[in-house]
Amino acid sequence: MKLHIVNRAPDAGRAVEQALSAMAAEDRLLLIEDGVQGALPSLVDEFASIEGRLYALHEDLEARGLMNRHDERVEVVDVEGFVTLTEQAERTLSWY
Amino acid sequence: MSNAEMPDGDLLVILRHGPHGTSWLREGLDAALVGAAFGRRVALLFMGEGVLALLDGQGAGALGQKGTSPTLEMLEMYDIETLYVEGPAMARYGIAQQDLLLAPVALEDTVIAELVERHALILTF
Amino acid sequence: MRYAILLMGAPYSDQASHSALRFARALLARGHRLETVFFYHDGVYNAARLAAPPQDEPHLVDGWAALHAEHGVTLQVCIAAALRRGLLDEREASRHGKSGHSVEAPFELTGLGQLVDVGLSCDRLVTFGP
Repeated sequence: MKLHIVNRAPDAGRAVEQALSAMAAEDRLLLIEDGVQGALPSLVDEFASIEGRLYALHEDLEARGLMNRHDERVEVVDVEGFVTLTEQAERTLSWY
Repeated sequence: MSNAEMPDGDLLVILRHGPHGTSWLREGLDAALVGAAFGRRVALLFMGEGVLALLDGQGAGALGQKGTSPTLEMLEMYDIETLYVEGPAMARYGIAQQDLLLAPVALEDTVIAELVERHALILTF
Repeated sequence: MRYAILLMGAPYSDQASHSALRFARALLARGHRLETVFFYHDGVYNAARLAAPPQDEPHLVDGWAALHAEHGVTLQVCIAAALRRGLLDEREASRHGKSGHSVEAPFELTGLGQLVDVGLSCDRLVTFGP
């Protein structure tokens, strides 16, 4: 299992599409920085193919005022949870 | 390409930028060359805009900077012969195999995860 | 576990440096070892010893140096990417006939081969891009 990390907003470039196209069936995806915009209910459908494997970083949601605006299908983790995700994944790939 | 034909490797460098606009392509290729010079098995995947790196007929930059196509011609010398290109990106940019400098294997998006799986270290540029 | 971080975003331009430093602190707090932070692309600007951010902003250069002092993390800066961008230690400044230097210990200028070695020898490499 690999962890894919996306720090770009869905509207900025193709990082989201590229990450999704490189994901295997068990892989997980973590949204950080501007990537957390993808957790908004109106944008989260882009990640429909990986439901249950989508995470967003608490600190970056909170800093942007998005903490209570994210979709409930996104699992929110803090930075310690980010470390845990990297422990559980054999490798990480970053898409920026 | 079937999965059985895809060789394992140490380092996969994913190149997602075209030439000249930024240094990503050059710095990504440098990482690949260094990896190969250190005896690692290196593969390249040209993804998205990165397919433009492979276009023939590239020239020098505004101040005469040499660009990246001379570096591509050195890949074989470094034994980097495992080259892939994202098929859908070629279609997106309207590029056919005969427009390309080298002879990369075109991959469908569904096979990219398998390629990633076969490498110990993946660097995205 | 043995971790390494690859940082490619410029300080104060992108969030990457802040994210990387926060992640570094968190993994150390969980008892892991951070072997190396490797600075490449515009990430090399994190090694600029003359950086003088306002006092009410995080001081990234000092933040990296503290990781080295407290946890022995090596701070490796790609020499080719650094020299092009005006980041030279005393030795390189002298070699290139420059009157001052812009990189100092604990940051070390090193070859890109170190990145490949570290990436393959550590258990985890986490990249922070711009």
